[in-house]
Amino acid sequence: MKHLTPSELVDLAEGTLDASRAAHADRCDTCRGAAGAICDTLHRASAAADVPEPSPLFWEHLSARVRDGVAGERVGTAGFGAWWSTAMRGFVPVAAAAILLAIVSMTMTLRHEPVSVAPPIASAPVAVGVGADQDFDTAIDANTNEAWEVLTAAAADLQLEDAHAAGLGVQPATVDRAVQRLNSDELNELGRLLQTELKRAGN
Amino acid sequence: MSTRAWFLAAQADSGCKVAVTNPTDSELVSAALAGDREAFDAIVERHRRHVYQLCYRFAGNHQDASDLAQDVFIRAYRGLKTFKGDAALGTWLYRIAVNVSLNKVGAKTPRPEPLDALMRASDARITSAAESASDAVLREERAAQVRAAIARLPKKQRATLILRMYHDLPHEQIAGILGSSVGAVKANFFHALNNLKKLLT
Repeated sequence: MKHLTPSELVDLAEGTLDASRAAHADRCDTCRGAAGAICDTLHRASAAADVPEPSPLFWEHLSARVRDGVAGERVGTAGFGAWWSTAMRGFVPVAAAAILLAIVSMTMTLRHEPVSVAPPIASAPVAVGVGADQDFDTAIDANTNEAWEVLTAAAADLQLEDAHAAGLGVQPATVDRAVQRLNSDELNELGRLLQTELKRAGN
Repeated sequence: MSTRAWFLAAQADSGCKVAVTNPTDSELVSAALAGDREAFDAIVERHRRHVYQLCYRFAGNHQDASDLAQDVFIRAYRGLKTFKGDAALGTWLYRIAVNVSLNKVGAKTPRPEPLDALMRASDARITSAAESASDAVLREERAAQVRAAIARLPKKQRATLILRMYHDLPHEQIAGILGSSVGAVKANFFHALNNLKKLLT
């Protein structure tokens, strides 16, 4: 005889299976085992039967919240309003994503324009080995940027010889090429920074 | 005319002071649709406990459950015209509650109740003199394990298990709530229990 189906096993566990099929379970270890497993799980699941009883004040509070929630609405207004609400729910994330994309695109474009203001100053040492042909990320704030933290943590144990061996050293004329790319404002700012550093080193 | 006035008028009309003190759900729905806010209040009052408890099963904590329950009744108010009366109002509210809960909670792991809240609830439920505080803690831990395992079940299995196991609804009513056949509900229940067993071992 065919084994009991999942539906019949549920009926067996709940005591509603008709007698002819229940008789099969008496003779079949597989079905009896499966029904036993269901009963065992039902028993274990009963451990979570109770829902913690909220404060007695909660029920009236819930009613009041519902009253407030529907205040000003007419009953049974699900229709165009609901459709509009659903449509807007779908539209808003898409619109937000489009705006974000536009902002990112503009930022990327502007980043490639000549910098006319002094970039934020990184308090940590500038990473070595960045060629003059590469762009500096002028938005890096060494005190807060997580990527910078990861980089400095990874480089903390790096020896100078190892860095050179890995091609991370400053190449000849790299600094010269970088300085040549600076405009007059940036050169002035660089000069000011160097003087500040020299004064601090002299103290 | 408010519900209270309507009851009084009905009482006067019928000459009976008892018969209409407990209006049926259908009567309350009709009154609410006619613009009687008190009738809808009465519906909320009548069904809020079951709706909250169902939401709690999905949310796993009081705060989210109360938000969900509020949402359920607001949606019910907005959609009251669509209630045809071919099923019980409670079943209709359950259907809304399941949909709202699965939509809002289904995609994320439910945030469990803070431990101190559970302990307060546990303290309140130490009814037997023989049950010590540590027994109550163990019982609560077991319950939390089961709730966490249920939260990991697929949506339909979770809903079926909750409605059958904890709300004691017949398979036919669950089928109506979930829009499935009775056979599918029983099969879902079977698979839910099988998966729950695996998750608890």
